[in-house]
Amino acid sequence: MNLPSPETLLYALLVITAVLIAIIVVRPAITVSAPGKMLAFVAFCILPVLCGSMAASTHIERSKQTKFCLSCHIMEPYGKSLYVDDPSYIPAAHFQNHRVPPEEACYTCHTDYGLYGGVRAKLGGLRHIYIQYFGTPPRPEDIQLYKPYNNRECLHCHAGARSFESNAVHTAIRDQLTGNEMSCISSGCHDTVHNVKEQSKVKFWTPGQ
Amino acid sequence: MKEIQIERALRISGVLLILGIVVEIISLLWEKPLAFLLFVGVGGALTFVGIVLYLYSLLPPAVESSSQPRPKNS
Repeated sequence: MNLPSPETLLYALLVITAVLIAIIVVRPAITVSAPGKMLAFVAFCILPVLCGSMAASTHIERSKQTKFCLSCHIMEPYGKSLYVDDPSYIPAAHFQNHRVPPEEACYTCHTDYGLYGGVRAKLGGLRHIYIQYFGTPPRPEDIQLYKPYNNRECLHCHAGARSFESNAVHTAIRDQLTGNEMSCISSGCHDTVHNVKEQSKVKFWTPGQ
Repeated sequence: MKEIQIERALRISGVLLILGIVVEIISLLWEKPLAFLLFVGVGGALTFVGIVLYLYSLLPPAVESSSQPRPKNS
């Protein structure tokens, strides 16, 4: 037996809440009795808070999806860069080889793995929306991170991994990497990232080929 | 008189909550970054005001000042 998805349950809960509220709006006299008062409290207070919390959670989970990030036109070249047919392109190599979950590719690398990192990532997303609609959005090739990329985000997965630990260069400079004194991506080692400026000169991989 | 006021508050609160729920459903169906702002800014605000108005309607009415003089403490 297939259980309904959480989103289906949420829609059902929203509709049930609206129906219960509508009943009380049409016949407010039912709130005179004690059961009516309890029904009103559940319909006007408990259920809307529950629905709001579940809907907020759904929105937050949805905002982690790659297709959500790429739904803004300005991000299209960055989405395209995930299909570059060149393993030196770090995002493409991670995306195509499923080193990051493909359906949450942007979020996995661009979230903040510190305490309250998820909240900071969401605030960053709100800042993107603000700049898109109320500021002056840059051209895709001119987009820069608000802060230099933190090695912590790379080491979250790579630290302890055999391929990382068995590399003599990594072990020699481990302290500089963990202390962010030397950047993984801008110190000349893994510096080919999205490179959207160069996109007209590269070949692309088509899934299934 | 008081019951009419409570019923009126319940109706307004109910309409605000239903509008909030409708906005929440629309924001969930619309899979775009602006949908989150719609959800928080409009849906959340309508729901919050609806709940506050409902809770306000539960408060006992303020005691009206009596025309009778207070008994003096002996």
